[in-house]
Amino acid sequence: MSTETTEGSEETTDDEPASSALETWDRIKHTERFVLVSAVVFVAVFPWVFTSLPLIPNDLLAYDQLARLVLIWGIFALGFNHLLGQTGLLSFGHAMFFGGSAYATALFANNVVADPFLSVVVGVCFALVLAVVTPFILLRLHTVYFAIVTLAIAQMLYYMAREPFEGITGGINGLGVERSPLFGLVELGADIPGIFGALWGTYMYLFIAAFFVAVVVFITRVRKSPYGLIFKAVRENETRASFVGLDVWRYKFAAFVISGFIAGIAGGLLPMETYFTGVERLHWTLSGDVVMMTVLGGLGTVAGPILGVIVFLYFEGVVNGLDVIGGYWLLTLALAFTAVVWKYPDGLWGMITSVSSRLRSRRGDQ
Amino acid sequence: MSLVESSVQFLFVALSVASVYLLVALGLSIVFGSLQFVNMAHGALYLIGAYVGLIVGFQVGFGGLIDRYGLAPLGLDLGFLAALVVTPIVVFVGGIAMERFLAKPLYDRPLLDQLLVTFGILLIFQEGFNLVFGRTGFNYARPDWASGPILIPAVGSVSRWRIYVVVLALVFLAILFAFYKYTDYGLAVRAGTEDTEMTELLGIRIGRPFLLIFAIGAAYAGLAGILGGSLFGVNAGMGFSNIIPALVIVIMGGVGSIKGTTVGALLAGFVFAAVTQVWPSMATASIYALAIVVLTIRPSGIYPTGRVGQ
Repeated sequence: MSTETTEGSEETTDDEPASSALETWDRIKHTERFVLVSAVVFVAVFPWVFTSLPLIPNDLLAYDQLARLVLIWGIFALGFNHLLGQTGLLSFGHAMFFGGSAYATALFANNVVADPFLSVVVGVCFALVLAVVTPFILLRLHTVYFAIVTLAIAQMLYYMAREPFEGITGGINGLGVERSPLFGLVELGADIPGIFGALWGTYMYLFIAAFFVAVVVFITRVRKSPYGLIFKAVRENETRASFVGLDVWRYKFAAFVISGFIAGIAGGLLPMETYFTGVERLHWTLSGDVVMMTVLGGLGTVAGPILGVIVFLYFEGVVNGLDVIGGYWLLTLALAFTAVVWKYPDGLWGMITSVSSRLRSRRGDQ
Repeated sequence: MSLVESSVQFLFVALSVASVYLLVALGLSIVFGSLQFVNMAHGALYLIGAYVGLIVGFQVGFGGLIDRYGLAPLGLDLGFLAALVVTPIVVFVGGIAMERFLAKPLYDRPLLDQLLVTFGILLIFQEGFNLVFGRTGFNYARPDWASGPILIPAVGSVSRWRIYVVVLALVFLAILFAFYKYTDYGLAVRAGTEDTEMTELLGIRIGRPFLLIFAIGAAYAGLAGILGGSLFGVNAGMGFSNIIPALVIVIMGGVGSIKGTTVGALLAGFVFAAVTQVWPSMATASIYALAIVVLTIRPSGIYPTGRVGQ
């Protein structure tokens, strides 16, 4: 008897600091500063974990470039998520911002100045122009209509880049891209010396990571602001949002422009990374890929799309190369994607958070 | 080549392209209009139709898993006509299965979810077919009665097969129209499209007519798979490359309207054929351009049905 009570009392005293730690965790995990810190930590350790984690067989580890591609596609998926996850507009033509920006970046780098930063800025400006012009057609349309016409516009650009503008874009052969040192100072292809080199590889990683962290911070700022809440209101119920007196068109327009802007950053970074750009970056399958990544990871969150990108690129870049099961990578992803949209709309990230909340509620029950 | 001959040839190229798109778009449009279900997996039926047609009609040296397990060449080799008859029946059954297992659980979900799930399903089929049948393309070997030119007096020669495609599409369009207009099932579907709840309140079991119309749409897509496969070649990517223009046509014409879909397909066929003459590389793009123009002027399509897309 007495031992039981002492055990019980011990438990409660043990629990006290733990539960207060959980409360603190709950308080900080939604703050913007926490998002910033975790983005920086993620960027700092991710390439090492992804490419050289000990005790994992070499076949299952990714290569350096894949880590950089994850960040680039992560930016793209965050941009896409801002439209679908936050505002509820499904675009099947986001390749137009990605590919458009990639071409603008490449052409600027080849013909004007090959500075990486300036080229990316030019690419983003082109994506912005597209994102400002197209809504005048698109935003009159709803759901499926919107999705199909975004796709139609992107496909138009694809076919235009493929043949009529072959002289400029290189057609189906694509376009080699030049890259000079950043601001004439830092050669981005060079290895970082010392321990940081072991962690991050080349300066290019830092260049991309800077954009990545900036995008995460920007997205979080928008999400947490009263302005960002209106996007959610529009997603939940457009009619009600307009009854409250909000100009729904304006907010959809803003969401579209922000989304295109971020997708443009990713599109501009890619040719700087691969020294190449091609028409397939305008093709609708690329839009399909980003839809898959974002939805698979978890719509409407910041971590979800990035998780989706990691899973997708891991399958494409690593699992693809394995014997026997390698050929099934895309089928597996398609099955996982379908299962997620059908039965588990919160995606992989939603699964993780629901498991953790279930664990905590079980603790609470005792 | 005389002006008459070249314009008749042009007419049949345009009509045959329109026919393939029309047969796919009809099912898509009716299901979208009456069941409020947007079905990208409809492209999978087109894809299945093309491959079933190949297997029934010919013996084909497939690659992929079939080759690895020593099953190639695979096929019943019953000839082209048998393929034309058997395939729609097989795909009809496939359509019933798709309605029961895919569409029915999704009827009450938002359009966005339906679009994403069926997109995933089509992707699964495309990748599955790539793995099973190999990533190469295949061709329909048409028999003599379906190939070569036909001589029309005072006009000139026209591709015999294109004429058959157009005639077949017209016949099936007429059948569907008659079904819609003159049978009780068709009446039930039309009533259900107007107001599903009210129709059910009147004691009509709307599920079965809807299932039937879904399966008919599927059979049409399967037939289109053979026709399209014989005109443009067969590969696993054909589902996507057909369903997207078909969706564009459905939306352009006005969802749920047979008339609208027909007009949309004709417009697309003629624009496609016209642009092919002057600027072949932009032929596919011209359909998208057409849709952008039409939807900018009429955001709900040419013949809006009111409920969908508002």
